[in-house]
Amino acid sequence: MADQPTLLPGQATAEEPRAAPLRQRLSGNWPRLTVGLLSAMAGLLVWDIYTRTAGDQLFTPTVPSIASAFGDLIREREFWASYATTLEPFFYGWASALALGLTLGLFMGLSRTASTVSMPHLGFFNTLPVSTLVPVVVIVFGIDMVARSAVVFLFAIVEVTLTTASGVRYVDSDLLDMGRSFGLRRIRRLTRIILPGAAPGIAAAVRVGTGRAVVGMVVMELLLVSVGVGKLISRSRDFFEAPRLYAVVVSLAIFALAVQALMSALERRSQRWRGAAAT
Amino acid sequence: MIELRNVGMTFEREGEPFQALADVTFTIDDGEFTTIIGPSGCGKTTLLKIIAGLIKPTAGTVVVDGEVVDGPGPNRALVFQNFVLLPWATVLDNAAFGLEARGMKKEERHRVAAEQLARVGLVGFENHYPRELSGGMQQRVGIARALAVDPANLLMDEPFGALDALTRQLMQKDLLSLWQDSEPRTAAFVTHSMDEAVFLSDKVVLMNTRPGRIEEIIDVPFGRPRQHEITSSAEYNEFTNLLWSKLEGMQRIDMASREGEA
Repeated sequence: MADQPTLLPGQATAEEPRAAPLRQRLSGNWPRLTVGLLSAMAGLLVWDIYTRTAGDQLFTPTVPSIASAFGDLIREREFWASYATTLEPFFYGWASALALGLTLGLFMGLSRTASTVSMPHLGFFNTLPVSTLVPVVVIVFGIDMVARSAVVFLFAIVEVTLTTASGVRYVDSDLLDMGRSFGLRRIRRLTRIILPGAAPGIAAAVRVGTGRAVVGMVVMELLLVSVGVGKLISRSRDFFEAPRLYAVVVSLAIFALAVQALMSALERRSQRWRGAAAT
Repeated sequence: MIELRNVGMTFEREGEPFQALADVTFTIDDGEFTTIIGPSGCGKTTLLKIIAGLIKPTAGTVVVDGEVVDGPGPNRALVFQNFVLLPWATVLDNAAFGLEARGMKKEERHRVAAEQLARVGLVGFENHYPRELSGGMQQRVGIARALAVDPANLLMDEPFGALDALTRQLMQKDLLSLWQDSEPRTAAFVTHSMDEAVFLSDKVVLMNTRPGRIEEIIDVPFGRPRQHEITSSAEYNEFTNLLWSKLEGMQRIDMASREGEA
């Protein structure tokens, strides 16, 4: 804990040239940020007042008790080990969903036939709540690493594929005509027009797919035998350690927010060429 | 030389066949600047895309420099109405794009593209991105891109249609001097501006609608090199007015017949 404040300013100075626009953006947004922050604090205040007056602190702990549980939690070796255990299948499932989803989406965006052939399957999996597939995964793969990765994979694959396909399909057809008029061949058409043109859609697919993979990770921990973060949750639940339970949930929220922020930054980067002015 | 022989085009529109072009026949001689003009919906852009090889006609043939057109080819380059630049590529890479498509090495294509950018007055903008340029400057990149591949036939689809009046006039002047100062090149130029047509071209192909067809082919009686001053001469105005009245007459007949149908 004590190390953290010194770490953050250090990073900021190392990133000085890039940090400048961010600072400008923040200063331009300060009314919005202030209101957002006040709103968050008001929410915490309402929660705290409720727990102290009406609520049963056994089930709804006060904000300071959650905070102190959180502080204890992140100093435990077991906490970090749990995350490491959970993140391994998350990574496998996430990476394979992206690899397969981006490839399949690209083919679907490029070829009407590929799209027509894949659509019934994707449509089926898209309407089905993915959790219903978890028992199937258990029957087929058991409960080990493969099964865990498969759950994460199943949560992300459909969205990644469909978002990529629509990103590829909406590449400016005038640009394709222009390329054709100059005799552009297949490979260059892909690398010089289609991929850069679809970059915003592909980045959106990565962002959406990652969000889904995080959901899959939590479901996997809770519905399969809990070994990682899920074990932290279920053990806190079994021992009725409400503040600790909430602290684990908060840590998941922070993890999800951090992943989301990273993905949004990636998405913005892919759209830099669009510029501020949409002329 | 661009020869159109009985070119026809029928689309399917809302399940019904729609005849966009019917029996279009004319020739653009080597080194001649021909403008195709007509009311909107007369199929002039479709016609240009057929010459470019982007659309296959449903009837007739197009012959460019002795070869029957069956797709785009290196003897033609197209300038687009809405510029169609790669937004993620620099001005230099955009101008070099046609050369890159033909597999020219980076160093050489950048050298050729830079030359062409200089010709259209864009020195110093090589590393800018299209969005940082005004519409007129973006179209200059579009023209440089087309000229860079050194096409014997330059096809232009309302290249100044998206520009404001002042920019448009400046671009017309610059295009004219670029045209007159360089080696002979055949040009097909689609526009709906009569002034532009008369000022730039040797021949005006006047088209009519429903179906898109040739109404009249008119030689422009002004020699070359041509200066912008001719636009204020009495002969120029008289000639432009004559063409205007023809175009206006066509449009009135078309409107009357549409009302009759409705």
